[in-house]
Amino acid sequence: MRRRRLRAAVALAGVLIGAAVAVVLVAGPSTPSPAESALPASPRSALAPENVALGPRPAAYWAPVVADTVARSRPSGEVAVAAVPRRTPEGTANIVLILGGAERRSGTLWVRVRAPGLPDDVRGWVPRSALGGYTAVRTRLVVDRARLTATLLRDRRPLLRSRVAVGKPSTPTPSGDFYVRNQLRKYESPFYGPVAFGTSARSAEATDWPAGGFVGIHGTDRPDLIPGRVSAGCIRMSNRDIVRLARLMPVGTPVTVL
Amino acid sequence: MSDLTLEAVDRDGVIAETFDRLTGGTRADFFGKAVVGGAALAAALETTATAQDRHTANDIAILQFDLGLEYLQAAMYSEAERLRELSPRTLEWSRVVGANERGHVKAIRGLLGRDAVKSASFNFRGVTEDDRAFTETAVAFEDLTAALLKTQATQVDSRRVLAALVSLHSVEARHAAWIRHIAGVVPASDAFDEPTSKAKVVRLVDSTNFVTSTPRTKGRRKPRFTG
Repeated sequence: MRRRRLRAAVALAGVLIGAAVAVVLVAGPSTPSPAESALPASPRSALAPENVALGPRPAAYWAPVVADTVARSRPSGEVAVAAVPRRTPEGTANIVLILGGAERRSGTLWVRVRAPGLPDDVRGWVPRSALGGYTAVRTRLVVDRARLTATLLRDRRPLLRSRVAVGKPSTPTPSGDFYVRNQLRKYESPFYGPVAFGTSARSAEATDWPAGGFVGIHGTDRPDLIPGRVSAGCIRMSNRDIVRLARLMPVGTPVTVL
Repeated sequence: MSDLTLEAVDRDGVIAETFDRLTGGTRADFFGKAVVGGAALAAALETTATAQDRHTANDIAILQFDLGLEYLQAAMYSEAERLRELSPRTLEWSRVVGANERGHVKAIRGLLGRDAVKSASFNFRGVTEDDRAFTETAVAFEDLTAALLKTQATQVDSRRVLAALVSLHSVEARHAAWIRHIAGVVPASDAFDEPTSKAKVVRLVDSTNFVTSTPRTKGRRKPRFTG
């Protein structure tokens, strides 16, 4: 009997002590410590920086050619695969696509690039010192010759679709992987419309063409021929669509012709 | 055609000078000399500022300069991360530090609002594709950034901006210590660290020739495409 009372008393004391501790923990000390009250409050920073992720992988990297050079089959190799001049035939800075895979040979850093060629872009190595800074692009243009459409993708999502005219059977638009080299506007030629993009693609049937037969993407003064297979190799679209494309498609954009 | 070496990038020798100062004049002996340690900065105390506070012209100029430097670092480390030409250890550094520097860019741009300056164009001249050149350049950049922020801490008008600079400084000091470790330099062997001047940072950035003009890819000449 006495033991039972003792256990009950101990249990009651435990409950009362626990409740007192809980009250103190919840309420906290009523006044700050002397050391704490001597300090002013911490300032708020004007910045709240957070890490920023790198974002989607670009569709390509391009670089301007800053010195006339030659693309070679291997780093410092003797076999030249293409001349790579500083300027395009239109007088703009020539550019190449960066393929990755830098290698140092005899103290020179070489990088693998894509440059214009026939019938497709050529892949070769150029000294890094012949190139300027790299620029990433997130867009890609896909031209479907069977469906007569051009679709601009950004981060692999369609951004713009347009009906196009492509090369006629005797001068077909070449198929393969190319890229946009420059953008021309404010010239006086209704035939090309208000904007024309130069690409790295060349027509095998028009190599004697002035400037070497490069394929362009441009507007037109004959919208009635779109869609169709009527051109000498270029990709034509309506003036409205080419102006929209000019706002969305930067130089360096890879172009795939199916 | 000039070869890509650190000397080609660092035409005025500022990066080499900075690195050599750390390594006792010879890069073969990275542990030869004492190096800069992390300095402690006391945070200023302020309670009443709000996000709507206007910055003084002095604070805007300081933040604009820092933004330019953050653009440069963020672009270099992001490019290295994309190209994947560096060693795994250096690449990991650039991945983590790149995310920090992009965060700094975003935060300072937000703070400056309409006073934010645009990023320059950069040509890293192969540094993002060459482990040794990248590491040495990153050591120079991170050391100088941490040292510059110390200088600026004594120059800003607003305590909120001071608190911001201090919060950047400690992160930049960690970047510096980490990349020094990768480069084989003692991360912190001195008890005290010295501030540096804006002029010295400008000299370093100029010496790299990383800041470049935008290539002219648009023209007005009549096209001669196949049509």
